[in-house]
Amino acid sequence: MTAYTERAAGSPIADFLSEHAQVLSIAVFFVACLIFFSVTTDTFLTLGNILNVIRQAAPILVVAVAMTLVIITGGIDLSVGSQVALVNAVAAMILALGYPWPVVVLGMLAFGALLGMAQGWFVAYQGIPAFIVTLAGLSILRGFALYLTQGYSIPIKDVPGFFAIGRGELLSIPVPALIALGVALLGYGVIAYTKYGRQVVAVGSSLEAARRVGMPSKWIVASVYMISGIASALAGLLIAARLGSGSSNAAVGFELQVIAAVVLGGTSLMGGRGSILGTVLGTLTIAVIGNGLILMHISPFFTQIVTGAIILVAIWLNTKIFTTNFRFGGKKVRG
Amino acid sequence: MMAEGQHQSAVAGTGGGHIPRQPGDGVNRQPRVSLRNIQKNFGSHQALRGVDLDIYPGECLGLVGDNAAGKSTLTKIISGTYIPDGGSIAIDGQEVRLTGPADARKRNIEMVFQDLSLCDHIDVVGNLFLGRELTKGPFLDRPRMVAEARSMLDALEIRIPRLGAKVEKLSGGQRQAIAIARAASFNPKVLIMDEPTSALAVAEVEAVLSLINRVKARGVSVILITHRLQDLFRACDRIAVMYEGTKVAERDIGNTDLQDLVQLIVGGQKH
Repeated sequence: MTAYTERAAGSPIADFLSEHAQVLSIAVFFVACLIFFSVTTDTFLTLGNILNVIRQAAPILVVAVAMTLVIITGGIDLSVGSQVALVNAVAAMILALGYPWPVVVLGMLAFGALLGMAQGWFVAYQGIPAFIVTLAGLSILRGFALYLTQGYSIPIKDVPGFFAIGRGELLSIPVPALIALGVALLGYGVIAYTKYGRQVVAVGSSLEAARRVGMPSKWIVASVYMISGIASALAGLLIAARLGSGSSNAAVGFELQVIAAVVLGGTSLMGGRGSILGTVLGTLTIAVIGNGLILMHISPFFTQIVTGAIILVAIWLNTKIFTTNFRFGGKKVRG
Repeated sequence: MMAEGQHQSAVAGTGGGHIPRQPGDGVNRQPRVSLRNIQKNFGSHQALRGVDLDIYPGECLGLVGDNAAGKSTLTKIISGTYIPDGGSIAIDGQEVRLTGPADARKRNIEMVFQDLSLCDHIDVVGNLFLGRELTKGPFLDRPRMVAEARSMLDALEIRIPRLGAKVEKLSGGQRQAIAIARAASFNPKVLIMDEPTSALAVAEVEAVLSLINRVKARGVSVILITHRLQDLFRACDRIAVMYEGTKVAERDIGNTDLQDLVQLIVGGQKH
């Protein structure tokens, strides 16, 4: 007699580990960095320095959350640094004309949405690769910022309400960090719990499948670039408010830091798979490494080398190790 | 906008809901879907060269033909995935122009695609409800979707232990079963299945064939594309044979046999 038995369900812990392998690995790496810099420098683990790190990481995190959405759809936005610079410069110019700052803030967010939507239209409705569209955007928008300011830095004077966005503290936590945290929570909620988030993942997983089940796939693709534009505008405002000036030379190389943070967090450049928690950890890791290397009196130019090396290694791990067959502990359930 | 996406009960579609059966024998029946002179070109390639086809309520039409005969293209036109270059489509006697897959879905035309059209990075529940997510405001109503997904799969006797598993981790047969459950569970009027059994095991093939007979009994029109000719004789009422972008023959299931079909499929070639 043969007994028919059901195959035992896999352990839920093993399932959890293999599904969140990437976030766990970046979490471990982040903690390792924290320990390393705490041991090697005296000043790293002081409250003042930690607050400084999160204040500086805030603009990157804001844009990295939006970039996570873009990369989940299988796209990329190389123009975020230029968008930040343009908004940064234009905001300073309009504030200099004497407009009230809340109007400027809202206006700039709308301006960012417009810039993002314009690029999203080319990507989604005209079928031009996102890499090309946003590479052109990187050049064009930086050019506009330079042209408008003629390369000069524009001071922002006597707008305490506006400065509070970049320099203020609430319960001794920097306001930009709180804003960035709010954006990250919003991003997490959208991806995990909303219909829009599900549509973004579906489009990134299989554009044709999303179209066939009747999703407005083109609009969804375009919309993530709009979100990226809004986030870039917010980051531009945070930087302007912190530095008290607007400059066309702000945020050079910003897009690389943002993309590095997102990829380091385990979001797949192929689309479909992404994690906001990973992005938060990735952003903090890059910020901590930059800060820690400076505290160790290593040349600031060296951080660029390290950041680049981290991107390479992260993508390498992403493609080679964390495939669907990857399992923690190497335990094979099926024969 | 997605109000029609909210289904009171997904399970009603698979169970034995009471929809009066159409009188199936009269000669003057109205076709559920009626295609006339459908043409479709891809560049210089004529995929369909004027196809006429009628599908009646409560019947299963088998669509057979050699590779690249135009079977998939024809069904994709009915499901709104392709827009025909010429010809007309009538649904329940009303001439329509399908504007896209969403339009066809609104008219209760569902399709199981040959490539399954699943999103690998989304879990089983998410794929079953893809494009018609149950929501509370902007938020996904996950508990309700899980509960309904479970009963959808149970009704089709599909065994998938973990509904939260990503579809990429499932076997080919399980993925195909999910694609079938997705199409069959939301009260389709027309159910198109393009090679639904290619990756299925014996028991699952039986389940699909009995599913076809069940939905037929409720008045659903089923179009079945398959290379397993023996399945046609167990589920289909009529068989249409396609050859090089045209329909070359139509046979009632009682008036044909395997030998006849094979002859029709390979066409004029003598062996």
